[in-house]
Amino acid sequence: MRTHNPHAEIAAVNPRRGGIVLGTVLIGCVLILSAQARARRGGTVLQSWILTASSPLAAAVSSVSQGVSGAVRTVEETFTARTENERLRRELAARDRELFLLRAEARQKGEEARLEREGAALPAVIGAVPIVLVERRAGVYSALLGVGSADGVAPGTPLAVPAGIVGRVVAVGQGVSRAQLLLDASAAAGARITRTGELGVVRGDGRGAMTLNNIATTSSVAAGDLVESAGIDGIYPRGVPIGIVESVSRGSKMFLQIRVTPSADFARLTDVLLLEPSPAARENPEVGKGAAR
Amino acid sequence: MKVSRIALLLAAAAVLEFLVGGSRYRALLPVDWFLLATATVARSGNFVRAVLTGAAAGFAEDAVSQQLLGMNAFAKAILGYALTIVAVRMVFGGALAVGAALAVASLANEAIVALLGALLLQSPIVVLTSDAVWRAVATGIAGAALEAAWAFPWREWWKRRRLRRLR
Repeated sequence: MRTHNPHAEIAAVNPRRGGIVLGTVLIGCVLILSAQARARRGGTVLQSWILTASSPLAAAVSSVSQGVSGAVRTVEETFTARTENERLRRELAARDRELFLLRAEARQKGEEARLEREGAALPAVIGAVPIVLVERRAGVYSALLGVGSADGVAPGTPLAVPAGIVGRVVAVGQGVSRAQLLLDASAAAGARITRTGELGVVRGDGRGAMTLNNIATTSSVAAGDLVESAGIDGIYPRGVPIGIVESVSRGSKMFLQIRVTPSADFARLTDVLLLEPSPAARENPEVGKGAAR
Repeated sequence: MKVSRIALLLAAAAVLEFLVGGSRYRALLPVDWFLLATATVARSGNFVRAVLTGAAAGFAEDAVSQQLLGMNAFAKAILGYALTIVAVRMVFGGALAVGAALAVASLANEAIVALLGALLLQSPIVVLTSDAVWRAVATGIAGAALEAAWAFPWREWWKRRRLRRLR
């Protein structure tokens, strides 16, 4: 850091005051965290309000983000076809801002339609929704979705792509909702090995992979076996792919240590499909909110 | 630094966070924009504003990503204070030092959030993942680039350029 900063020299005389403010802020944070930790069973009204308040900003920035993404994709396409490259460049130069945003919106709709077509095999698909933001930090894998309670989204709603399960909605605002991805270190789902029919629990490891737990050492599970949702957790529907067994190791315990590679490409998520919440989650929203923690 | 500038800085960080985080290329540029905003305020040497900016940035981050509000706020308030100490007390300087300090701060942020998650939510402690390291590297590079751009004598460079053209 630079030492000849004149502002620094003036303000540096008062670090004690900064220390007092730091202490106050930290105590405030701890109080807020404690209050939430106690009130978790009662719901997350505070987060719901914050999500609702942030929905206009999220929607506005999302549309710009989609516009930018659309532009980048277009540039990618120009590299693949030389003739189309020239045409697209002329088109891009001619377009004004309004047309730019309209095109991005149309692209988004097309993407959603494609997703719904390809996801026809999934059970009880409600519709496709855009992902506004994905956050990966300290084992937390969460996503902000561009839909909320105004669109009928409820906590516990499972999310998937045609390749497999992605996660579930955990907090809902009016126009935005937050989802926990299956790679989150605290996420879990009831799972079944398709070939052997054995039931276990898939957990995210917070590092981009998953583990399949509670499979006995007598199991014949092998690398390459498909793991799908078992429908026993009250959140995810049955029979949706979760991943492929990557490795099986036999520890000294009663259960095998099984690593699972996710079927869905979490690195490139832009849109996801909302699935119908399970009856258990519909009747008791707390199932959807706190099942994994 | 003026409050209006801090607000502008936080708004810019939020917009960048959404722009990058909402695109499919988010894994290529996982810069912690809120940490950069906090560090920018800390660079001015005002402890109070750096702590409050860190807390505000952390709350904004928590609102969209964390199950409990306050985890990133806690971490970034501490980092705001620590970065201000680094800004006013340390002897070293330059873009590389700033980049390294920011990379370390990013990892520290990660560790504090992981620790709080383990304490309050019984989550497994996940630190030093490839994601975290890449985020620290990206944040460090972005911070170093900003510092280099900030310290570059643009006015003299522009004058020299004009003189060269006139000759």
